[in-house]
Amino acid sequence: MQKYITQQNLNTLIDTLIASGTRVVAPRMSAGIPLYEPLDSSVEMVTDQLPRRSAKEAFFPVCEEIMSYEKEGQQIKLTDIDPARFPETVLVGVRPCDAAAIPVLDAVFSWDYKDEFFLERRRKTTVIGLACTTADDACFCTAVGLSPAETRGSDLFLIPLNGGGFACQSYSEKGEALISNNSALFSEPNNAAPLPLAAPQADKIDLKKVKSWLDGHFEDTLWDGIAVRCVGCGACAFVCPACHCFDIVDEGTEKAGKRRKSWDACGFWKFTHHASGHNPRDLQPKRYRNRIMHKFKYYDDKFGQTLCTGCGRCVRVCPVGIDIAAIVEEISKK
Amino acid sequence: MPLTSQPIDTSIYATITAAIRSEASRLFTAAEVVAIIGYAAARRVGSAQPVIITDAAAAETLIFTEACVNNLAVYLTKAKKEIPKKGKIGIIVKGCDLKALVGLMGESQLKREDLYLIGIPCAGVLASAVQPATTLTTETIASKCCECDVHLPLGCDFVPSVTLPPGPQMESRYSEEIARLEALTPAERWAYWKEQFAKCIKCYACRQICPFCFCEQCLCDRNKPQMVETTPRPAGNTAWHIVRAMHLAGRCAGCAECERVCPMDIPLNLLNRKMAKELKELYDYEAGFEINDKGPLTMFTEKDDQSFIK
Repeated sequence: MQKYITQQNLNTLIDTLIASGTRVVAPRMSAGIPLYEPLDSSVEMVTDQLPRRSAKEAFFPVCEEIMSYEKEGQQIKLTDIDPARFPETVLVGVRPCDAAAIPVLDAVFSWDYKDEFFLERRRKTTVIGLACTTADDACFCTAVGLSPAETRGSDLFLIPLNGGGFACQSYSEKGEALISNNSALFSEPNNAAPLPLAAPQADKIDLKKVKSWLDGHFEDTLWDGIAVRCVGCGACAFVCPACHCFDIVDEGTEKAGKRRKSWDACGFWKFTHHASGHNPRDLQPKRYRNRIMHKFKYYDDKFGQTLCTGCGRCVRVCPVGIDIAAIVEEISKK
Repeated sequence: MPLTSQPIDTSIYATITAAIRSEASRLFTAAEVVAIIGYAAARRVGSAQPVIITDAAAAETLIFTEACVNNLAVYLTKAKKEIPKKGKIGIIVKGCDLKALVGLMGESQLKREDLYLIGIPCAGVLASAVQPATTLTTETIASKCCECDVHLPLGCDFVPSVTLPPGPQMESRYSEEIARLEALTPAERWAYWKEQFAKCIKCYACRQICPFCFCEQCLCDRNKPQMVETTPRPAGNTAWHIVRAMHLAGRCAGCAECERVCPMDIPLNLLNRKMAKELKELYDYEAGFEINDKGPLTMFTEKDDQSFIK
């Protein structure tokens, strides 16, 4: 279904949804930085900057409680979290690189184990993607086969038009339902030209070639050369729209506490540290190798696609300037 | 009031680049060092990244520009097992980086004789918020450079002979922000830091980039018993940043790497500068200027303030 919506009507849609009790998550300024957060009003939405963290946290929060315990005498009471309490959500203004990562996460969280926390939030969320009009030289969606107008992962996709408003196209039943439930706010498509979209200066990389090199180079001097500078933090993984590793810890006292799930990162020394004291990834190059292998080989082996959407966040935040786009390009030329 | 943006003359950086390349080449040829830790250009226009070179041929990749923001001292500590330790290591240091090395020598983490210090006369580097290709101005400069007192590192083995052009007047961003926070009520100050710490995602970039965070096992990674909640939640985040600020008091000399690398823009160096200010007021101590094997918080003298003992 193809429609047109004015900026004003988009704001009305957001405010109407909020008023009806729907959680509307969109980029807004939070203590000085843009983040995807629940809005109190449509006026808070900022779409001219890429949020510092990706949209994955709408389904896979930085930290969430998954269970709690209480001890009374010899009795231990365990209380599960009821995913039914997760709110209906509309995610608005999602960058194509963030939206495209959502199906990537779907595959993992619904694979052998069904992660009810992720999947219930996902089921209850409608994703409104927004074509991207701002890129910098860290952006490389075009290198991994996506584009500033990529619609993958969006239920409804907006393209800003010259003269204001957005062309909108639905890509799923959820998207169509959103239009039909608010049909007064949408009108028939017009002929206005789209605003100039972002043009990342990154040429398409042959990801098949990258994968076939990775297939045969678990041991290679490349890893030492790249990762000698890696300091082993988790910034790259945490800002990544597709990284999905998490840790589970019990926090509390002997009497009461909570079991929590929070983001984890393969760059950390502790990530593969065994209880025995042995660490199979004892040096940083082995840990960095895993990052590249997981994104461009292991995930592809299992799910037939790449675990990277080229948002460029890891390139921007890396404390020591490690540039995954440059590395993958280098591998593709081997 | 911020001053109007004025350009900062960085024309000496081209001369410095040429000088460090030729010195690096000489050092390898004369077998005086086994490795040099420096900066090289990266893919993004104008960007630079740390590089560890081990032969004269690679000397030509070394650069110094306003994008050379890293404090390379971090590569001499911690688990940097990958760097050859079979001889002297050369390292490119700005004045602020040198302060960290001085501190690390005081804490017996490094020996002066194991290092070949290539000092950089520095007019300043870029703030983390700007693109690497940005021109250096009083607006785009890193906050730490606004209050720099070590443009010319002293006691190095080699310093390119250039004359630093006089720089424009700059605002004292940290001092002004500390004064603003000090003027708040404790409740207001608490609200400010609560909001800042709430952004923390526990990526530990601040810890991993810090030359002084060299503990083999960080207290905050321990789980038997757990000292600090590891999950990114207000309680654990606040505990983490306060533990770190306390542990750095009297040691941190203000390279501001923690603040530069924070992907959530938490103004971490403000905590460190506040602690440094307290140390200056209480003990007349400033970290990073001379090699001391004991800092003010690791020793006692009778002159110390004892008014808190009731």
